[in-house]
Amino acid sequence: MSPIIKKASLFKKILYRQAGVIPIVEILLLILLIIIPFFVGDFLTIIITRMLILALLAISFELCWGYSGIMTFGQGLFFGMGGYAVALFANKADFVQLWGVIPIGLIVGMCASFLIAWLLLLGKRPPELIFIALGTLTFSYAAERLVAGWYWVGGGNGMSIFEYLRIGSFEVEPGRLFYYIVATILLLVYLTSRFLVRSQFGLVLAGARQNEKRLAFLGYKVQKFKAIVFCFAGAIAGLGGGLYAHHEGFIGPGNVGIGISTMAVLYALFGGAGSLIGPIIGVLAIESISFTLSDIDAVRGYWPIILGVILLVVVTFKQDGLLGFVVTQRERIGSFGILKATESKPSETSQHLKNEKNDSPS
Amino acid sequence: MDEFIKVTFDILSFSCIMVLVVSGLAIIASLMGIFNFAHGEFVLLGAYTVFVFRETGLPVWSGMLAAPFLVGAFGLLLEVTIIKRFYKAAIAAMLATYAIGLIIRETVRGLIGGKFWAIEAPIEGVFEIGESSFSIWRGIIIILTIIIMSGCYLFLTKTNYGLKIRGAMENPSLARACGISTNKLYAFTFAFGAALAGLAGALVVPLYSLFAELGLRFLVQGFLAVMLGGAGTFEGPVLGSAVIGAMVPGFQWLRVEIPFISYLLSPVFAEVFVFLTAIIIVKFRPQGLIKKGRI
Repeated sequence: MSPIIKKASLFKKILYRQAGVIPIVEILLLILLIIIPFFVGDFLTIIITRMLILALLAISFELCWGYSGIMTFGQGLFFGMGGYAVALFANKADFVQLWGVIPIGLIVGMCASFLIAWLLLLGKRPPELIFIALGTLTFSYAAERLVAGWYWVGGGNGMSIFEYLRIGSFEVEPGRLFYYIVATILLLVYLTSRFLVRSQFGLVLAGARQNEKRLAFLGYKVQKFKAIVFCFAGAIAGLGGGLYAHHEGFIGPGNVGIGISTMAVLYALFGGAGSLIGPIIGVLAIESISFTLSDIDAVRGYWPIILGVILLVVVTFKQDGLLGFVVTQRERIGSFGILKATESKPSETSQHLKNEKNDSPS
Repeated sequence: MDEFIKVTFDILSFSCIMVLVVSGLAIIASLMGIFNFAHGEFVLLGAYTVFVFRETGLPVWSGMLAAPFLVGAFGLLLEVTIIKRFYKAAIAAMLATYAIGLIIRETVRGLIGGKFWAIEAPIEGVFEIGESSFSIWRGIIIILTIIIMSGCYLFLTKTNYGLKIRGAMENPSLARACGISTNKLYAFTFAFGAALAGLAGALVVPLYSLFAELGLRFLVQGFLAVMLGGAGTFEGPVLGSAVIGAMVPGFQWLRVEIPFISYLLSPVFAEVFVFLTAIIIVKFRPQGLIKKGRI
């Protein structure tokens, strides 16, 4: 290769890599989340821990909707089931170890989402988008009704967990330590998801989101790819639910079903669907507003209405959410896998150069 | 024999309520391709209208007469301002209508103070067949449903306007090329669907009571009915909702009759079971009970 080509490829590399607002946002947020417990009191730390747990829920929705085009109202269901499973283990078997809670949440979430994926996603013919949305909505609603009327799991009152989460015999109270545990888990989940959606696997998903038929013609079993992501997202939601139940010390019918599923949708859309950091920002923004407003009596009753208005405005006018103000569409779509921008183009370029060389003497 | 009549009446009455509630949803879904998540809240608004009329001292039946017009006008307003933007995007439309539904539901919840309000039927009392007695209002709902559904069917199949609607449903661009204003048609249809929902809400509110989640339970069942019957036809969703409506008392009846499954089918499980059955049927017959393009 001639030095000119190398220079061109280097230039392209910089061009493609440089226009990155998302990494800056990510790093800023990470630093903020690391230092924030030192600046606020214990009470606020607990509130922020709760937000981070809800961020897991938001990420799980985002993986389904933003990256693979599955409109799901079921994330609340997996979240709640993870929470209920953990609460049952705590209440019926006195098992509150952290090393157990995480896999329980993950496995329960994954199994539940696999069942639903099998029912809704996998079939002879690809289901319509709307069918998946309605199906997951139905399951969420049914689950909410079921746990509200089932006394073994606490009925309408839900279940309380009276013991703190434990590592060995050491009790983890909600507070700074719990915060860092949750933050670490969130970081790990975030990095795994980021790797997943930026890999070749993520490229297939993005393709399926844009044009499912074409991808099917290319030989991809699109439904299976979607089912895998759905299960992965379900596992994350289940993990979030497990942590939530322990952090709040309570899980009830309100944490399963349509209400919390809607919140997941809202977080992701408000923060900016189509990027993983958007939903986290959405959670932080919405929960902060909610927390601020909950002190004002006059406004508190109207909060659900305000949420509805926010959703309506976002869907109608600003579909790329808060993050859309700083991130371009091009960056949102992003690059996949290891950037090999120079491989296809250089042959063309070198051809041009050869032609030029050939032309010049004559 | 008495038992048989009772069960039949129950099934018929539940089916009719479902048909009444679902028809508006089905018409909007079939014609516009939009699944209106605010439909349950239109039902709630219809019920709320009756409540408001009663509170101001007017008779209940006048509220029932006014409900379809008021809710229909409200639907028209929504269509012109918001729904119009989402013809091409089913998912965005779904989210937008969901948001609208959320706003309406929470507003009504605030207005009625989060309580349950019993609303008496305009005609109270029971009538008797053999040994068993039945509520007159349920009977009236059955008759009204049959009248309304036949009216809708005749409207869609026999009138000029119905022909236009079916044309726009079959092939919107061709309909536009023929000089039919599909936008006007859509606006009208949405208002019509909303009016049907309002009427349904007004009629069924004496059987249930008025509470904020009134619409939500109908919404989920309604969607299942549309999926079950097959969107894009008139008979499909009607049949689907009749099936869903029949399943609820059907399961209840099974529970009483067969002691072995009574534990499995406690009322809560019965409802979940209905959903599950419907989803499984839809999974194995995704085109619905009746295929498209038949109307």
